[in-house]
Order: sequence, then structure tokens, then C-alpha cells
Amino acid sequence: MGMRITNAQADSAAENAAAAINGRFGGSEVAATVEHHANALKMAFVRVSVPPQHWMAVAKHLRFDLNANYCSMVTGTHYPEGGDERGWEVVYHLMRQPVVDQAPHTNTVHVAEDLEGEDIPLEFEVVVTLPQTSSPSVPSVQSVWVGADWNEKETWDLVGIQFEGHDNMHRVLNPHDSPEGFHPLQKQHKIRYHDFNEMYDDAQGFGRKPTDEGRVK
Amino acid sequence: MAQMWITMGPQHPMTHGLWTLRVKVDGETVVDTDAELGYIHRGVEKIAESRDFTQITPYCDRLCYVSAMTWANSYIYAAEDLLEVEVPERAEYVRLIAAECQRLASHLMWLGAYGPDIGSLTLMTWCMRDREMFLDLLQELGGSRMHYNYPRVGGVKRDIPVGFADRLIAKIKLFEHRIDEYEMMLDESTIWLVRLQGVGYAKAEDMVNAGVSGPNIRAAGVNYDVRWAHPYSVYDQVDWEPAVEKPTSVKGADCYDRYRVRMEEMRQSCRMMLDAIEKIPGGKNTNYANGDEMILAKAPTRAPEGATGFSHYECTRGASQFYIQGGGDGRGKNPYRLSIRSPMFITIPYVAKTMIGYKVADIPAIMGSFDPCIGETDR
Repeated sequence: MGMRITNAQADSAAENAAAAINGRFGGSEVAATVEHHANALKMAFVRVSVPPQHWMAVAKHLRFDLNANYCSMVTGTHYPEGGDERGWEVVYHLMRQPVVDQAPHTNTVHVAEDLEGEDIPLEFEVVVTLPQTSSPSVPSVQSVWVGADWNEKETWDLVGIQFEGHDNMHRVLNPHDSPEGFHPLQKQHKIRYHDFNEMYDDAQGFGRKPTDEGRVK
Repeated sequence: MAQMWITMGPQHPMTHGLWTLRVKVDGETVVDTDAELGYIHRGVEKIAESRDFTQITPYCDRLCYVSAMTWANSYIYAAEDLLEVEVPERAEYVRLIAAECQRLASHLMWLGAYGPDIGSLTLMTWCMRDREMFLDLLQELGGSRMHYNYPRVGGVKRDIPVGFADRLIAKIKLFEHRIDEYEMMLDESTIWLVRLQGVGYAKAEDMVNAGVSGPNIRAAGVNYDVRWAHPYSVYDQVDWEPAVEKPTSVKGADCYDRYRVRMEEMRQSCRMMLDAIEKIPGGKNTNYANGDEMILAKAPTRAPEGATGFSHYECTRGASQFYIQGGGDGRGKNPYRLSIRSPMFITIPYVAKTMIGYKVADIPAIMGSFDPCIGETDR
């Protein structure tokens, strides 16, 4: 028969993790809450809101004390109409995976119902809100999770959020010779068929004129 | 000997798609690598911002052209989280069967493409033959062979047709014997073993830290699967267990382990579908009309600003994730931001680094064993 982490297990793990974060960072604008997904199974997860100056400390706490060993996803969002306080947002999705390196000829059998404490897989959603600015920037957590490396490259490439201290930042999905400052997921860029302009206009070059146009040949 | 950079790709059989692996070689030995992606970046995340929640599903199908159903499902679970929809149980079973059918088709495509990498062209023809059985089943559900646009927010497009269950069972019974045939052919082939064993070691701890997931970490002896760890759907009600391989070295999993784990995963998918088709609420030979409440729940079309939806899904190549923020154009009809996490986007740069120290001739064997798919990598 199949198995799964029960709602009670996820609830208790999320409450413990939220209490640990609040206990350590309480009073410094870091707030952790237990939330539930709205779809059928209603699993619990931890949502942490962090100001950018404390993000590195919180990241280390999550990684080394709460064992969130898997940085799965980094999402940047642009809010041009979000007011002075909220111009950009970076959301990190982290997972706790009970993983150990295996001795040869063995494997780790996790029985979901028997997992306890820090062995229970748990999901963290870390929200870093940045003020309205033309050069948004957060500290890079590449040194904490190797998996953050390419996620951060992608977020810079598409959304234009700077990751301070990121080693070897370069374009990954856009062409390498894209104009500096061109980050297509920023909201001022519209796609082509709505009144569009910029880089992809006339990509095929059909509208281009020969340089000697108008001269008698 | 002088070292030099050589470029494998974008047109190279090793790439299984369209990307470039730059390799620095010292004679026959790889000393450094660099991955270049983005050749087929289509901007799905940007396009989604001007589409409503139903219109996004076909784009998600096209994220990965060999496992369209799992990607569409993955998106749909995030949309359901955002729109607060509860899905009827029959629809969950149908989705489970569709997703596992797709997993078989995808793993067969992987095996079929991996065979020629290693030098066994026979494998390609055999796998394409068997994959066709499952594509036929998916065609009965979605109406086309590769891009189905099948799941809907709140359920599925239409119910399983009458007779589908019998055909599914017959094909799975046949296919279970076919897996044995593959194993007879491959596990006793010296060439296969020599090219795969002791090549491309990757440790579980390193892989998780780098963000690798799915069959690739299960090959390293870790029983970790999104289907039980971050549960969704009705996987707790059907009979299965995660496919896990025992590593044979302290260095972690090699290419052979990754091949074994996918073969085992195909067996588990068969077992799961056989059980699910018997347990399906409403009966396996009933066909409900389109839009019946047994297969499709009513769902809102708008999401308020500030609402978020997230899904964590076991795709065929690892954990895929969608994160959606509501409150976009048309008073919340479109997402404000839709973000996609592709398992292969993270895995490919990692794999490129694991090749360091091996020979140039091992590159196709190592790369192929991780099952790259560039459609989902570049989005």
C-alpha cells in the first residue's frame, strides 16, 4: 500500500520550524507563519518573510539548523505599482529532504508514517520584499546551497534582480549578447502583439532597408 | 599535452536536444566543462501573464514534449492551490493513470534514446514500439499523441472511454513481460555493462545540495519521492513503493544505477495503474459525460491579488514546481507572475561538472543517464 506524510506530521514539523525561526529572529522584522495549501490535501508549509539585510542569516539558520537542504526554486517578481515599500519581491522555495549518503549495498527506507522531528520533509517559502528601486539587489545564497546558483542566474537574467556576491553571473536563457539592462519579465516589457517595440520587433529583418536605398544603382 | 576547449553541441547526438556542452580536454581526459543553455527559450513565463488559467495548460504541455501530461498536471495542481479548488476523486484517479502512462512513455523514450548513445540501436526500435502502446492510450484520453491539453482546473477534460480499462490492463500485462525482455537484453550485454558501470558517479548528498531530484537521487540509494514526501493526488491509496537502487560504491550512483532505477520505476508505474484502475470510484467501465461533477468540479476563473499557488510534482525527470501569483490582467483572470522550476535546468549544469575526470567517450553515457530534456530546461 502506498504511503504519505500525514497532515498531522506536516503540521507539527511546520509549527516547530516556525517557532524556531521566530524564537531566533523575533523582533528583527523576520516573521514565520504556518500556512496551508488550498488544494485537496491541505498540507502545511512555513512562510517566512525576511528583509533583505537579514536574509543571509536566516538562510544559514534554515540550512544548518533546520536542515532545509534543498533550494528548489527562486522567483523574482516586479511590482511597478506596488508602492514605495514593495517594488520587487524574491521568493525562495526550499525543501527539507531527509537525505544521507549511502554505504554500498544499502538503502535508506523511509516509512512516511514513522518519520519524526527533523526527518519530516517540509516546504519553506521565503519571501524577501525589496523597496521600489531601479537596481533591486539581495545577497546571493550560492554559498549556502549550490542549487541556488543557476536559479539565481535565471532570476537575474529574466527579472533583473542583482544577487550580491554571486560568482560567475551571466545570461542563461536570453541570448548572451542581449542589451544590458534588458530583463524580459519586468513589467514595462510587453509581448509583441500588444503594442510592442523592443528587441524582438522585426526579428527576421524583413523591415530592414539596404544601406544604399534611394541612390541610383 | 596541451589543453583545449572543444564544443559538443548544439547539434550533437549526446545533447538529446539543443544545448552546448563546452569541454576542456587534456588528451582524452575531461578537465573542465561548461554548459550553455537557452537555445529554445520560448518565454512561457512571460506568455502566461497574458493568458487565463485554462489557456496556460497547452503551453505547459509543450514544456516537455516527451512528458506533456505530467507537466500539464503539475501546472494544474498549482492553479488549484491558487483558485482553492477541490478535485473529485475519480478525476484524481484518472489523472494518476494518465500521469503514470506518461511516465512509462517518457522512460521508454529515454531508454530508446540512451540505447544508441551506448551503441545499441536495437533498443531504439524496441522502445518506440512499446511506447506507441501508451501513446495510444493517452490519445484515447486527450485526443492527440503528444500534447494532450487534458487536465482542467477542477478535474479532467473528459472521462476515460468505455473499454479503456481493458485495453490498459492488457497492454500493461504485455509490457511487464517486455521489461523482462529488455533486462535480458541489456543486463547480459557486456558492452552495456562496460559502458555504464563505474562511470559517472554522483553522491546523494551532493546531488541534493545541487538541486538534483527524482530518479537520479533515488539511484543513489535514497528513498525520497515527492509522491509521498510532499503528497498530492491519491498516491496513498494505490499499491506501489518508490523505486530505489542500492549503490555499489561509496562514490554514489553510477550510470548503471540510474538505468536500473528507471526500469524499476516502470514496473512500479505498471503496478500502480493496475491497482488504480480497479479502485477507481464510479467503476472502470463507466463513462461520465463531459463536465459531469464526477470528473470536473466547478472552479472560479479569477484569483485575487495576493493569492499564491504552489505545486510540487514528481515529473518523470525529477521534481517540477510551479509558483503562481494571482491578480494579473483582467481583474485576476490572468496570473500576475507564473514561475516554473524545471528539474533539468538545475541538473544539466550539475551533470556537466560530474564529467570532470572521465574520458571524452564517457560523456554520452553520463549525460544520457540523467535523462536530459531541453524543452523543459529552456522553457
